[in-house]
Amino acid sequence: MTPRGVEAARRTEAPWVRTLEAADGVWAVFLQARRRDAHVHVGDVHAPDAEMALVLAKENYARRDPCVSLWVVPARAIRGTASDAADMFEPATDKSYRFGGSYRQQQRVYRGGYSAGPTEDDR
Amino acid sequence: MSTVSPAGDEAVRLERFTTRIASGDQIEAGEWMPEQYRFEALRLIQMHANSEIMGALPEREWIPRAPTLARKMALTAKVQDEVGHGMLLYRVAETIGRPREEMYAELVEGRARFHNVFHYPAETWADVAIIQVFVDGAAMQTQGALRSCSYAPYSRVLKRICYEEDFHIQLGLDVWRALAEGTPAQRAMLQDALNRWWTPIIHFFGMPDRVSPHTEAMLAWRLKVKSNEELRQQFLRRFVPVILEYGLVVPDPGLRWLETEQRYEYTEPDWDELKRVGRNGGPKSAERLALRQSFYRQHAWVREALSRWSQAAA
Repeated sequence: MTPRGVEAARRTEAPWVRTLEAADGVWAVFLQARRRDAHVHVGDVHAPDAEMALVLAKENYARRDPCVSLWVVPARAIRGTASDAADMFEPATDKSYRFGGSYRQQQRVYRGGYSAGPTEDDR
Repeated sequence: MSTVSPAGDEAVRLERFTTRIASGDQIEAGEWMPEQYRFEALRLIQMHANSEIMGALPEREWIPRAPTLARKMALTAKVQDEVGHGMLLYRVAETIGRPREEMYAELVEGRARFHNVFHYPAETWADVAIIQVFVDGAAMQTQGALRSCSYAPYSRVLKRICYEEDFHIQLGLDVWRALAEGTPAQRAMLQDALNRWWTPIIHFFGMPDRVSPHTEAMLAWRLKVKSNEELRQQFLRRFVPVILEYGLVVPDPGLRWLETEQRYEYTEPDWDELKRVGRNGGPKSAERLALRQSFYRQHAWVREALSRWSQAAA
């Protein structure tokens, strides 16, 4: 995103939205260790463009442990929730009904019998 | 969002910050922090970053002279790790508020500090073993403890660094073992290197707690997790047995284990030497800084070419 774009976005953002403070040319690096995994933020690199950022990311973050894919993103383009706004993730009411483990009574009834999860046959 | 206060009273913020740290919470990049915390955290992390970069130099000298191809490849990998650690750490320091170029300029111009051990020469191949086992082993005590420090970006990077340092120590122990099981000349070379490195390594953990100026504040901010003396003792407990195991001699005749106090007693080293060396007054300080400067100049065209490339592409 251009610096002007960042400025414009900041002006309209809610107080709980945070833009990462980063100099021009800082790229956040996301690494996928195995095909089945998600890309995870492992650190940053300084680079003039995306191609060089990927080259440096490979040297810095993929020289030893498994890696099948890297993403680089201009660090300033990342928006996050502010860390002092963490209480927005606290449930306002009891949300236990969203968890399978809350349904104890039916589990007692069906114990040892019915399972909706994958079984040996699904392999 | 009730918790996001506008400007907020400084004293209230400071109290909330202190309470958070005391409760074991960590601070993320971009969050408010008191100026003293910012100053101390930057000083700590910048010094660590400088030390990684300068620490690559004594070992780099031995890459062309490594005794076998396997040792050469492993040593190259280790030196690459150290430079990589420098990169990670300057980035963390940047999140506290100083541009990387500024910190790097300060280092090459000799205005910044780096760890005392990297001001000394690496005279023989045995010095490489000592650096890999004892210097990295000493660093591991400090950095291992700091993984639970209060600045989250630093603690994340330290996890990665300690993971790689473990490879360095294992590699070093293998070089150490080869020399210790070798000819009388090899054993003599190892003992000689140990003798020369002993004092710098005891110095590594810093001044005694009673005179260490920052200890209390740093412990309170959790920018220090254990005191200098605690770390020195932890190091001795772990590494004195490594020396004795191969029948080498600990270069301090005053070193003994005090069973009742569960600690090592050692001869007080010359602390003035540590201060002198820390101010870039060590036997190799000028030479290594000059080398850094010349490389910085020689590589200027690479930095220039990279920035031109991106301008051309834009």
